[in-house]
Amino acid sequence: MSTLTATRPAAPAAQERSTSGLGRTIASEWLKLRSVRSTYMYLAAVALGVALGGLIAYLMTADFDTSPPSEQAFFGSADPGQLAVPLAQFCLAALAALAMTSEYATGMIRTSLTAVPARGRMLAAKAVVVAAVTAVAGLAVNFASYFIGAAITGDRPAPIRAFESLGDAMPSILAGSAALVVMGLLGLGLGAVLRATAGALVSITAILFVAPIAAQFLPRELGVKVFATLPMSLPAQLAGTEASPVYTQWGAAGVLALYAVVSLAAGWYLLKRRDA
Amino acid sequence: MRPAGDLVIVEGMIEVRQLTKRYGAKAAVDNLSFTVQPGRVTGFLGANGAGKSTTMRAILGLDRPTSGQALVNGRPYAAMRNPVHHVGALLDAAAVHGGRSAFNHLLCLATSNGIGGSRVTRVLEQVGLAGVARKRVGGFSLGMKQRLGIAGTLLGDPGILMFDEPVNGLDPEGIRWIREFMRDLAAEGRTVLVSSHLMSEMALTADHVVIIGRGKLITEASMGELAERHQRGVLVRTPQVEALSASLREAGAVVAAAEDGSLSVTGMEAAAIGELAFARGVVLHEITPRSASLEEAYMELTDDSVEYRATRINARGEAERTAA
Repeated sequence: MSTLTATRPAAPAAQERSTSGLGRTIASEWLKLRSVRSTYMYLAAVALGVALGGLIAYLMTADFDTSPPSEQAFFGSADPGQLAVPLAQFCLAALAALAMTSEYATGMIRTSLTAVPARGRMLAAKAVVVAAVTAVAGLAVNFASYFIGAAITGDRPAPIRAFESLGDAMPSILAGSAALVVMGLLGLGLGAVLRATAGALVSITAILFVAPIAAQFLPRELGVKVFATLPMSLPAQLAGTEASPVYTQWGAAGVLALYAVVSLAAGWYLLKRRDA
Repeated sequence: MRPAGDLVIVEGMIEVRQLTKRYGAKAAVDNLSFTVQPGRVTGFLGANGAGKSTTMRAILGLDRPTSGQALVNGRPYAAMRNPVHHVGALLDAAAVHGGRSAFNHLLCLATSNGIGGSRVTRVLEQVGLAGVARKRVGGFSLGMKQRLGIAGTLLGDPGILMFDEPVNGLDPEGIRWIREFMRDLAAEGRTVLVSSHLMSEMALTADHVVIIGRGKLITEASMGELAERHQRGVLVRTPQVEALSASLREAGAVVAAAEDGSLSVTGMEAAAIGELAFARGVVLHEITPRSASLEEAYMELTDDSVEYRATRINARGEAERTAA
């Protein structure tokens, strides 16, 4: 055959841009996350959680105002974050898990890995994007919860008012936000390990909501330790606001970091090893 | 770009070397070796389950070979930094996130390889999807998704293109478009590997075929060679069957008489048969060289290696073997 002589046009000259491989992959993953509807639905659910938390705080405060002083002392804090933060933990973990599992559900993973065959780099890029999104969302949820709570409770006394001032609330806000980043990375790691959306959501639910209940049924001493080790209990220990902590603040930080590191490492190992 | 005199023999080549891929005890691909050259459409043929897709996934670094290797431009696919510039592959057109717009889907792929949005717009125009660039892919027909997948393969203007069963589920217009498209790519000097389970389809597109069955190479040949290898002898009709048969056998040909009175002659060219008949004064009514159709050649070649064979159910509901 005479057509063997290569006559194909030269590839476009500007094909190699200066950004590093990881930078491009992060840009690509960021676009992936913001170009699907599910991301916005989970973020909307997070916002809804803050609104609902605010409503409950408002109703609690109204109830507080009409209660006799003897009962007022037994009120909990009217803190929107008490509802908003656990819900955000679930939603952001789910959002992050979907960043991985939606690729498997649609088969997109094979297209993605054809474009970025360096699998570790792809997971790292997803982790960077998830960490950034959950950090921003986490700070937004925690600050919003504080300011809404402060606006509702005004200058009412301590049990109903969660925090004396913003400075007083800061450790909780930062610890709560950090825990949300960890939940995002945990969700991503679980997504990479399980490769199925349903499995990832069930696991997240189990860790967040089922395990704390299950811990109650364990022998008392063990149950307390397990309970304190769960993501739900760690933010207060990290912030130093937990009345009877099992972990020091550093200890809580370490346990939280382990959730992210272990799940991502497992996800990375399996992603590298398994056929796509 | 390359220093002058640099001997580049692997540019645009796909090399599969003793590739084996096992799933448990079952070998999906079994010690398979072949190369794919630039400048022509190479058809990758085999029955369903023959190992075509597994081989293509191995070439793309998606599946890890049990042993052996697959090289693209002389190195493993996974070693390429910006593979979209070298290889465009469409394995499954439906494997896209339905919630993303066509433009964003391609931009996700492009961005990771340092390709900008203007190129995305360009390839969408090229495949005729510019009008629906901002529409969600979930609403696309299969034909549109195929076009989108093809647009994705063009993003980096690669020298190598791979398509897995690209005409499956397409309407005739779409099928014709893809055929012409693949031929054009090859004519530009690119390497085109296209898998199919239909020889009839490859006969219209491919210059060269790699035929596999049960994960093993059955044959690798140009279309011309394949047709030549499967000559079916010469059909001869004559009122003097006995006389001609005797003469032909005497001359060393193998003669088989068919039920309709025609003769099937092998081992002798049509011209020689005609001359022999003339010399013996035998009247000929017809003399036709027959070659097996490519389809028949393919069926013959793969007959022993078809994994999932249908049995025909006859009118009384009894199963019969389909193949003779």
